[in-house]
Amino acid sequence: MASLLNPVSPKCSIAPVRIKTPLRDPAEADRMFLLRLTADFEDASVSSSPNRSFMLWIDGVGAWQLCAGRRFTIGAPSFENPSADVALLANISRNHAALHYQADTWSVTASQPTSVSGQPIHAATGLRSGDQLCLADRVRLGFRIPTPLSSSAVIDFESNHRPTHTVDGIILMVDHCLLGSRRDHHVCCPEWPDVVVLYDQDGTLRCRSSAPLCIDGRLVADSARLESGSVVTGDDLRFRVEEVSEDTDRR
Amino acid sequence: MKFTFAPESSPLEGYTIKRAIHRGGFGEVYYALSSSGKEVALKLLNNNLEVELRGIRQCLNLKHPNLVTIFDIRQDQDGDYWIVMEYIGGRGLYEVLQGYPDGMPIPEVLKWLSGITAGLSFLHDRGIVHRDLKPANVFSDQDIVKIGDVGLSKYISESRRSAQTQSVGTVYYMAPEVAKGRYGREVDVYAIGIMLVEMLTGRVPFDGETTAEILMKHMTAEPDLSRISEEVRPVLVAALEKDPQQRIQDVEELERRFRSVVNAVAPSGPSRTKPRGQPAAPAAERRSPVVSPATATGLMASAFKTWSQLPAPAKWVIGGIAAFLLLETRILRPVATGALLGGFVSMYFGYKLLSLMFGSQRQTKSARQKTPPESRTGFRPELPTAVHRRQPMSGPAKALTSALLSPATPRRIVFAQRLRDLTNSLSVVPVAVVLVTLAITLTTNMLPGTPEAVFFAAVTILASWGLIVSGKLREGRVGDVFIRRLFQGGIGLSVGLTAAGLSHYLMLSDEDFLNSPDAAAKPWVMGKLTVSDGSGFPTTAAFMLFFGVLFALRRWWWQSDSFRRSRFRVSTALFTLFLGAIIGGLLPGFPDALGATWALAISAVVQLSAGWTPHEDRLPTPGSNVRKPKSVECQTTLHVGEREPVVQA
Repeated sequence: MASLLNPVSPKCSIAPVRIKTPLRDPAEADRMFLLRLTADFEDASVSSSPNRSFMLWIDGVGAWQLCAGRRFTIGAPSFENPSADVALLANISRNHAALHYQADTWSVTASQPTSVSGQPIHAATGLRSGDQLCLADRVRLGFRIPTPLSSSAVIDFESNHRPTHTVDGIILMVDHCLLGSRRDHHVCCPEWPDVVVLYDQDGTLRCRSSAPLCIDGRLVADSARLESGSVVTGDDLRFRVEEVSEDTDRR
Repeated sequence: MKFTFAPESSPLEGYTIKRAIHRGGFGEVYYALSSSGKEVALKLLNNNLEVELRGIRQCLNLKHPNLVTIFDIRQDQDGDYWIVMEYIGGRGLYEVLQGYPDGMPIPEVLKWLSGITAGLSFLHDRGIVHRDLKPANVFSDQDIVKIGDVGLSKYISESRRSAQTQSVGTVYYMAPEVAKGRYGREVDVYAIGIMLVEMLTGRVPFDGETTAEILMKHMTAEPDLSRISEEVRPVLVAALEKDPQQRIQDVEELERRFRSVVNAVAPSGPSRTKPRGQPAAPAAERRSPVVSPATATGLMASAFKTWSQLPAPAKWVIGGIAAFLLLETRILRPVATGALLGGFVSMYFGYKLLSLMFGSQRQTKSARQKTPPESRTGFRPELPTAVHRRQPMSGPAKALTSALLSPATPRRIVFAQRLRDLTNSLSVVPVAVVLVTLAITLTTNMLPGTPEAVFFAAVTILASWGLIVSGKLREGRVGDVFIRRLFQGGIGLSVGLTAAGLSHYLMLSDEDFLNSPDAAAKPWVMGKLTVSDGSGFPTTAAFMLFFGVLFALRRWWWQSDSFRRSRFRVSTALFTLFLGAIIGGLLPGFPDALGATWALAISAVVQLSAGWTPHEDRLPTPGSNVRKPKSVECQTTLHVGEREPVVQA
């Protein structure tokens, strides 16, 4: 599993964000904030380190799995070898299919019967937001890219096949992951006052928001590194990040 | 929303909390994993302890696929009780309903109904009433419907039917007899009935601003089932009977009857495919055939909607043009006749339109109530589920109150306040009359000279005073509408008499501006009453009839009430103008243009002068016109119900 990470260039510097910028339209503020952030990632390069997987335990919202990488495998859980990134308790192969993000496009390759929006695939096939992946005729997964501001995708479970523990969805993060109150955020947290952005920088998961956040009890003004077990709290929000290591279960 | 326990804490030995799920009326609920990795929901009980514990212990060993299983009741080191429950991962019916603001497709409704029925019938069979059934307590995990909060169920036996009078649960789904404290399993039938209406139409049949209002509607009002098709309606009527004895007696019968009528309406059979992607926009064609579409009245409703959506300046321009056309051109009489005929013909449709308007108002309300909060809300640990109702009254909340706090709202107004309001209003009248008369003199040639203008103004002042006094004195009181109209008619007759006398006194009785040549040489005598003497000039009787009828036909107290929708409504003034034109047109010998102008002027003056309370300052209780802090007003909306957004188990 030659997974690739995308550390940003060393020159990448994130302009300090003013806290509590009073902008009239929260959606516009949100957009401006994200645009500034995304601009910082334009010269992102690809590394060869393996994918990292995290659980996001979000109070009042749910549990989400976050995979950082460029190539993501889908399959059944394995007891001997590392499981696929999207490991489903389903009657599928342990290495059933893989999703790739390359040159600004998503595609899927499969080693076992797979179809994309009803069409069986035999070679690498492009994926668009809203496509439905069907593995072994029974396992249906939704593929969507919620926002044009990010290339990261979200996998929704459309049949009753899930990972070993309840997960509301899986985020395939190629640049960043947005958590906020709108439907076009990767994780929709309806009552959150502000948007929180998670991103991968030099192989570490980082977090930033336009609002002040506390990470493990320390107030952070701009962005901060997230460790496994970090608890992020803010006004009306709280979530915990937990890295899913190779030998532990996803919990 | 903040929670007591942090992630990774273990208040109960053997369980590690991973995240908080939600906070409900009975306590916080967490998602936790046992040491071996079993998912559970942990519910911390923080109030209503005895009630809940008693109920849960009785249900501890119930096993049914459609009920959320309770594994255990444990006590932590602090002595707090926890319920260890099956964790339900799917979406709740409450959440699903939000995706269908106009109602769900029938197959979906049937899917939920069959699960709910199976679970409840199992409970009822064991003598247990759920009693707190609501969409926030019903979930679907891997396509299996699960009923939660069974612990709240009340164990009943025939002898204990009246045991508990404490009223808990969400009032939207609460049967009328619950408030009386005597109830059985029929309350669950009732709750399913309400949920069926909500699933079919997207809104609950009994809605209101306060718990008391909703409860009152459960007890007295007939459910609004106008959007439900005629075939299905009787089943829902039977499920929502006020009298539990008359109601459908068991949940299975309700499901059976509902299925049979639904299958008859939609014989094509349910297709179980789920909509892909976000269920947010169920298209019109997905609407169930059980919901009857608005047809005949749709056009009128949309016309009304268009008018109400126009910006205020546009309304003024259109209103002005209409008034100008009516007054300046000779089309008045045909227009009046046409309007009258049209009015009779559309009386039936008009009634339907009114009910539709009322209905659509309700719809917005329901939709708004479900809208997640957009603005920032602070942390309020004491009442988290009601947080979104605690925002300052603005936008939707304001619209909600205005829909409810109308001139019809009974309220107590202290005498001093009433007197102050009345004197203020009366003193503004002359100023308003001068302005209106000036406007008429300048824009039309209705009032050719000063005596005419003085005559017109004097009568308008008198009429406005009469109407404002009668309106303000009865403001906020419940009274017979017929008597009120009769009283107003009396005032109208006096105004007419005075107007006739004044016209003679000012020697205007044979001036041109009172002349209506069409009526000349057509005397109309009713008994001893000479309505028209054939001269073309109005008689005393004609004056009295005009004002009497005009005052009796219009609900003038709505125009002078402090709780009218806006200080000045163009449509109200226009409608009065039309009415004046029609009455003037029908009265031979009475100048119809002058009649219409008078009606318009009186309506304008009454609305401009009568005291008006802005929406944000309205309170249904004492001193309704006194400015109060906004928070006080918001408090009244706090207890509308516990419609928890996301509830797991």
